[in-house]
Amino acid sequence: MNIFADKLYQNFIVDDRYLYLVQGLGNTFVITIFATLLGVTLGFLVAIIRSASDQTGKLKAANFLCKLYLTIIRGTPTMIQLMIMYYVIFVSMDNKILVAILAFGINSGAYVAEIVRSGIMSIEKGQAEAGRSLGLNYTQTMWHIIIPQAFKNVLPALVNEFITLLKETSISGYIGVMDLTRGGDIIRSRTFEAFLPLITVALIYLVIVMILTSLEGRLERRLRSSDR
Amino acid sequence: MIANGEILFSIDNLSKSFNGIQVLKSVSTEIRSGDVCVIVGPSGSGKSTFLRCLNMLETPTEGNVFFEGNKINDKNCNVNKLREKMGMVFQQFNLFPHMTVMKNITLAPVKLLGMSQSEADVKAMELLQRVGLPDKAEAYPNQLSGGQKQRIAIARSLAMNPDVMLFDEPTSALDPEMVGEVLNLMKELARSGMTMVVVTHEMGFAREVGNRVMFMDDGQIQEEAPPKDFFDHPKNQRLQEFLSKILK
Repeated sequence: MNIFADKLYQNFIVDDRYLYLVQGLGNTFVITIFATLLGVTLGFLVAIIRSASDQTGKLKAANFLCKLYLTIIRGTPTMIQLMIMYYVIFVSMDNKILVAILAFGINSGAYVAEIVRSGIMSIEKGQAEAGRSLGLNYTQTMWHIIIPQAFKNVLPALVNEFITLLKETSISGYIGVMDLTRGGDIIRSRTFEAFLPLITVALIYLVIVMILTSLEGRLERRLRSSDR
Repeated sequence: MIANGEILFSIDNLSKSFNGIQVLKSVSTEIRSGDVCVIVGPSGSGKSTFLRCLNMLETPTEGNVFFEGNKINDKNCNVNKLREKMGMVFQQFNLFPHMTVMKNITLAPVKLLGMSQSEADVKAMELLQRVGLPDKAEAYPNQLSGGQKQRIAIARSLAMNPDVMLFDEPTSALDPEMVGEVLNLMKELARSGMTMVVVTHEMGFAREVGNRVMFMDDGQIQEEAPPKDFFDHPKNQRLQEFLSKILK
């Protein structure tokens, strides 16, 4: 027991090593939150363009661009996309966290787009017809009638995507961002002790995911209030 | 306001094909203000498609539809604006399940007629009184029976003060004991002078409430007559067969 306490002390207290984890967690949060915002915005936009194009036969050029985006993003590993962003596209940018946000946001957008599109397609045609027959235009019908129902249907899949995104940010270290994973790894390199830093990092991810899952459960119950 | 007897819809050689299959074959007719026009016919005869062409839920392949003098299948026509004047009631109700009954009814008036939410709420309560469901204002659609849903759907359309109401088999998805409450509401609506175009299998309703009954078959209006002549002295042979099958 004494040995364990000693190891805890060595890994986290000496030289304030716990700060690596705190800072890392902060960066992980910043990257995840802003990448999520970017991903959701991009995803909804692409999903709406794709469904509008499928339903009306218009917006062919925009639809083509969206498909190209989906193919490239879903067809290549996230880590490669991150490195291309850092080493090829934004060579002159010093803000590594911003590069990570862009890379993960653009990546996540592709997955969100397909999730949201499946949600839009899951709403029966009669809903849109009812909206349009009242005189609402396409945008109003989408915004007030289709999207809220679609969102409810795809909420579990969306949360799943955010959980994936959160964990995927652990590769940020490859472009030198000190995220949670890299923070734990730095401690490991100082103390030559793998077990405690890595397990601690894993537990922190696990706890965040569990909190997200329970929040989703609550939100889902609230949205279901109309299903009684 | 549209004067009684004035032409609301003018349908001129309307044809509609789906993937090369012609569902409507050059249909021409007029619908006047105050008409209660009931369309009957076998499944697949094109009667629903005809109704859906009136508010451009289906785009005509050929021919023209005029509503209050506007050619609605014109590229430059503001269909949304004209649809505000045409209520539509669907077989599957199509209430918005994520909104309360009140919100279902007030959504379009608030967004399109520039009503405030409180004005719209007052109007919606009046309509709920009229359809006999004032206690359901805060209920969600999934808490209602089929008949109640359809009465709310009618109230939702009425909230836009339409010049005409289109009914697409409004009682076909209902349990038998609920058909009556919806038909009674439609009768009351007809008596109040509402112009109605009704696709239905309810022959009793056609006979009692309609002033014109049309028989559609094979994408065409095969016969049209006032209800008494239509049911008692059908001329078209296919109509005679149709009636003999359903009025055993």
